Amino acid sequence: MSGGGENSFVLFPLGSRKFALPAEKVTELAKPDRLQTFPHCTRLLTGVLTRRGRIVPVCDVAQVLVGPDTPPRKFYLIANRKFESRQEWTAIPVSGECELASGEPVAPGGRQPEYISGLLSLNDEMIQVLDLERLMAMEAGA
Amino acid sequence: MRANRLPPPKGAREDVILFTVGVFKFAIAANAVSEIRNVEGLQRFSSGAGKVEFTLERNGATYFVVNAARHLLLEPEKPTRLLILRHSPAAVLVDSTDRMTQLSVLHALPLAFHSDERRWYRGLAVLNGEVIPVVNHDAFLSKSETVVLRVKAEQLRGAAAAV
Repeated sequence: MSGGGENSFVLFPLGSRKFALPAEKVTELAKPDRLQTFPHCTRLLTGVLTRRGRIVPVCDVAQVLVGPDTPPRKFYLIANRKFESRQEWTAIPVSGECELASGEPVAPGGRQPEYISGLLSLNDEMIQVLDLERLMAMEAGA
Repeated sequence: MRANRLPPPKGAREDVILFTVGVFKFAIAANAVSEIRNVEGLQRFSSGAGKVEFTLERNGATYFVVNAARHLLLEPEKPTRLLILRHSPAAVLVDSTDRMTQLSVLHALPLAFHSDERRWYRGLAVLNGEVIPVVNHDAFLSKSETVVLRVKAEQLRGAAAAV
């Protein structure tokens, strides 16, 4: 999966809703893998996957975006997160296939959560574009 | 678009002891453990710190017994083994010990983990496809916790002598 430019987005479903991430943030869509857990205190992280020799943390953003009643997640969207000068993969469980879309997002209105960086209008649907870093930072501070 | 690889794994091959707490498996550096023993001879100790409920007197030294489950914020189950740490006043109560094995790679804990676990673990190992946290043995008792516990132990000794 590769981004076609700065206005390309990967759309992913969480239950009946769709969200978007900038395509340049997304590395791949992975099939379900064995989630491994160990004790920790970081919110939203549910465990880790091993993938291509790496240990990839799993971040269940559905808890924030759609609440606890999300249908089972079927795939992992592997996204890049930036930690100062370093980048790290994060797996986001999603509930179905993802799509690549292009569009010009509009600025979010005042009532949108701070982790929404824009709104994409596609096929009469308004799709929230996530700022993953901000979402995680807000959860860390919660 | 590709992420940078993790920094090179730290260290060469390392012997570790595998142990369990609750449903989780952990590893600890073998050279950090001086002895593995049963839980006989523990003396109850009212430390005021939830994770230390016992002491062990051994060879003239007092070890503060840290319940690994409480340290890792887990529900304590039935510990059966005590890991006496080397060069430390701490001994660690665990549910069971498994075996010794050798790690060739210690992966850094992903940066997404940013809470207490950064102190708890030195990193993660993968053994037969299983991800196992390698505990930071120095984190079981901090220096300040040790000072507080020693003061408390002295107070209790003084009170017992006065009776």
